[in-house]
Amino acid sequence: MRVTCTVNGEQHQADDVWEGESLLYVLRERMGFPGSKNACEQGECGSCTIYLDGVLACACLVAAGQAQGRGVRTVEGLGSGDELATIQQTFLEAGAVQCGFCTPGLLVAAHDLLERHAGPTDAEIREALAGNLCRCTGYEKIMEAVRLGATRRATAS
Amino acid sequence: MDLPGITEVADARLGIWRPGDAWLAGGTWLFSEPQPALTRLLDLHAFGWTALQVSPDGLDIAATCTLAELARQEFPPWQAASLVGQCCAALLGSFKVWNTATVGGNICLALPAGPMISLTAALDGVAEIWGTGGAVRRIPVADFVTGPGRCRLRPGELLRSVHLPIGALQCATAFRQLSLSALGRSAAVVIGRRSPSDGALVITLTAATTRPVQLRFPAPPGPDGLLATLAAAAPRYHDDVHGAPAWREAITRQLALEVLDELERL
Ligand SMILES: Cc1cc2nc3c(=O)[nH]c(=O)nc-3n(C[C@H](O)[C@H](O)[C@H](O)COP(=O)(O)OP(=O)(O)OC[C@H]3O[C@@H](n4cnc5c(N)ncnc54)[C@H](O)[C@@H]3O)c2cc1C
Ligand code: FES
Ligand code: FES
Repeated sequence: MRVTCTVNGEQHQADDVWEGESLLYVLRERMGFPGSKNACEQGECGSCTIYLDGVLACACLVAAGQAQGRGVRTVEGLGSGDELATIQQTFLEAGAVQCGFCTPGLLVAAHDLLERHAGPTDAEIREALAGNLCRCTGYEKIMEAVRLGATRRATAS
Repeated sequence: MDLPGITEVADARLGIWRPGDAWLAGGTWLFSEPQPALTRLLDLHAFGWTALQVSPDGLDIAATCTLAELARQEFPPWQAASLVGQCCAALLGSFKVWNTATVGGNICLALPAGPMISLTAALDGVAEIWGTGGAVRRIPVADFVTGPGRCRLRPGELLRSVHLPIGALQCATAFRQLSLSALGRSAAVVIGRRSPSDGALVITLTAATTRPVQLRFPAPPGPDGLLATLAAAAPRYHDDVHGAPAWREAITRQLALEVLDELERL
């Protein structure tokens, strides 16, 4: 089967997709977007978090065919060119990354939060990131990065 | 995850049901575990059903309506509307899962902790079922789910929608949910509703029990009356890692008393 969808603003096509493939596999292995990670494959860990038509979804739970004609945004599409998105920059500055496996999913989820809430409370940050598990950091640095991201966006606007 | 056994994903309107088929709704359960028995998925989105329709008779929820669409909807000033958010939040998955998971998928999966079963059973929802050859039948959601992972769908049948009657939507409601851990899968959900017109009370038990159980009273029965009716109903309590039957029974009694207390004071 052929799957055609927009990924990070550009039209992409994958051929010979077998019917039971997840969108995650198609993105990573067929379309060249390995940013979204494959960890639990069960919708639990959030490392495969993407935007699908502007709302967050776990790419591991979406059938490839269900992305046909739709818009996908992955971690690779958060920044523009060589310029990192604010949240990517603040993850670096806050030291919110250790092994980095959870990071792409957390970045997409945190990006979505800051698009929806200019100044989220800690409780709102925790709620927004509740579907993203990190085995390394203990989350404090991640909280710090999101708070910093919110402040940075507020001062920039 | 990838489902290597699947050889075809077809438009649900065109597929003629055969063994090895499954209806594909949000896919959040289908794609979350291996499906060795399945070879084909029939995608229900092809029907293009309107997610939610409000009418003077109540609310029609398409099977393909997502939990996110339901949670976002602004309803008329129905007292029972608050139950929608409470039940959506009772799904263990994050809001990312809400964005994709459907009401119909949740009901047909028939897990005891299916929050859309809790919601629609508590509001006397009626499931519209489409059979092969155009047959349509209707079953109350409370009877539709028959046990853990079991429902009254026959091979080839699909759930088209659930109708929530206006009378139930206008009731005051009380909601209690408990899990072994703070954000764990529901071990008990008890929902009460009280009619503003005649004071009648309906208490619906889900999650703790293997299938929905409804206790109906013409007027609030008092704690002893409630516990006696609950004992007479003799529900079967579910047994899995999310709670032992004896514990589920104890918390169900407690939550039912709390619900009664809340609704009695209205
Ligand atoms: C992290 C996580 C947490 C979860 N927590 C919960 C929870 O707390 N409680 C719970 O109940 N579930 C839970 N689930 C399971 C599942 O996501 C939900 O039950 C969801 O609502 C299923 O809906 P879906 O549209 O994704 O169904 P699908 O995965 O598409 O389908 C589920 C089943 O129902 C059948 N089906 C779907 N629609 C219809 C229809 N209209 N007619 C006939 N058959 C149909 C399918 O063939 C399949 O057998 C969780 C899943 C994840 C990933
Ligand atoms: S890999 Fe998708 S949620 Fe874990
Ligand atoms: S940094 Fe290793 S899992 Fe989060």
